[in-house]
Amino acid sequence: MPYVELDKLRFHYQTRGEGTDVILIHAFTSNSSIWLLTNIVDELSKEFRVTTYDLRGHGATDVPQSGYESSQMVDDLVQLQDALGLGAAYLVGHSYGGVIGMHAAYKCPDRVLGVVLSDTYFPGMAELEPNMGQAEPWGELREHLAACGREIGETVDFSRLFRTIREMDDNEFQVIKDRLGIVGARWLSSLSKLSSTSAGEEAFQPDGLGSEQLSHITQPVVALYDEFSPFHATCQFLKDHLPNVAMDVVPGAKHLAPLQNSTAFVSLVQGHLRRLAGIPTAVEPH
Amino acid sequence: MPRDVDAILVELADLLSNFQGREYSDPITAETTFFGELGFASIDAVVLGETLEATYGQTLPFGAFLSELRDRQVEDLTVGELAEFLSRSLS
Repeated sequence: MPYVELDKLRFHYQTRGEGTDVILIHAFTSNSSIWLLTNIVDELSKEFRVTTYDLRGHGATDVPQSGYESSQMVDDLVQLQDALGLGAAYLVGHSYGGVIGMHAAYKCPDRVLGVVLSDTYFPGMAELEPNMGQAEPWGELREHLAACGREIGETVDFSRLFRTIREMDDNEFQVIKDRLGIVGARWLSSLSKLSSTSAGEEAFQPDGLGSEQLSHITQPVVALYDEFSPFHATCQFLKDHLPNVAMDVVPGAKHLAPLQNSTAFVSLVQGHLRRLAGIPTAVEPH
Repeated sequence: MPRDVDAILVELADLLSNFQGREYSDPITAETTFFGELGFASIDAVVLGETLEATYGQTLPFGAFLSELRDRQVEDLTVGELAEFLSRSLS
């Protein structure tokens, strides 16, 4: 299995294809399987060298007690680039993966050719999204857990969520399975491993990446926001303040574009990466 | 020429009976489900894919296979479906 040791932690990764480097960064509580499910690696690796990996605490990577702030995630990313011999890369980040991508572009611009972010919420601009707890991902999760008698609150609190999941029994997971399906139930169940960590608090720290820092990122940024994104204000801020940004909308999606509209998501990412890398788009014959 | 599905099923059953340190004592058949019965989470599918690519010595189009299952809104994957995919894909 492809694993690499970084800072005494074993990270799980995959690399495919040849060409300019593209690194796909999954969301908080997700893992690299999301890229397999969207088929994006097969598509992008026709033209790029594509690397996916599991963030610390996620997927098949080790679970340390701490180090879940975006700046530490950037350190992990740069170490991964060094260990695998990757060059400066285009970073594609879903949700929190976009925070890591943008933080890398700010902190280590020489490692980043550009960032494609998907429906990202920035903890450093939390004031723009005061109703985040009511928004789809958290609101939906709250309803599912309420159906088995569990409360996770009106405000986003992942530490509470992880503790709640750890306490749930088989009967409660059966209720979740009935609502989310077996794959969703297994995903939720797997999050209990984060209950012994500080991930829930640390990932939602501003960690030195606020509106001021974001406004100074000069690398090209593609901001993909979902048609029914809960983060309209963030989207508008990026459009108004980033010096080098292109915007696009993923139709029909509501924060989970890679899963909710895989076809459009992959097509948009591929099209923008081609544009940024100067790869000509194939012309259809008349 | 496609590889024999039954032979692949035997190889899969052997691999899955002790996968990632999880022992599974019941017989593994074509109808056994990965998530419901073998206790897979989605990341296990990634690791299994890597294991199979290493075992068979070739890159396999798992992305296309799984996204096609998602498009069909398949709830779970059976060992038999994976064996048929491998039979079609292995050269």
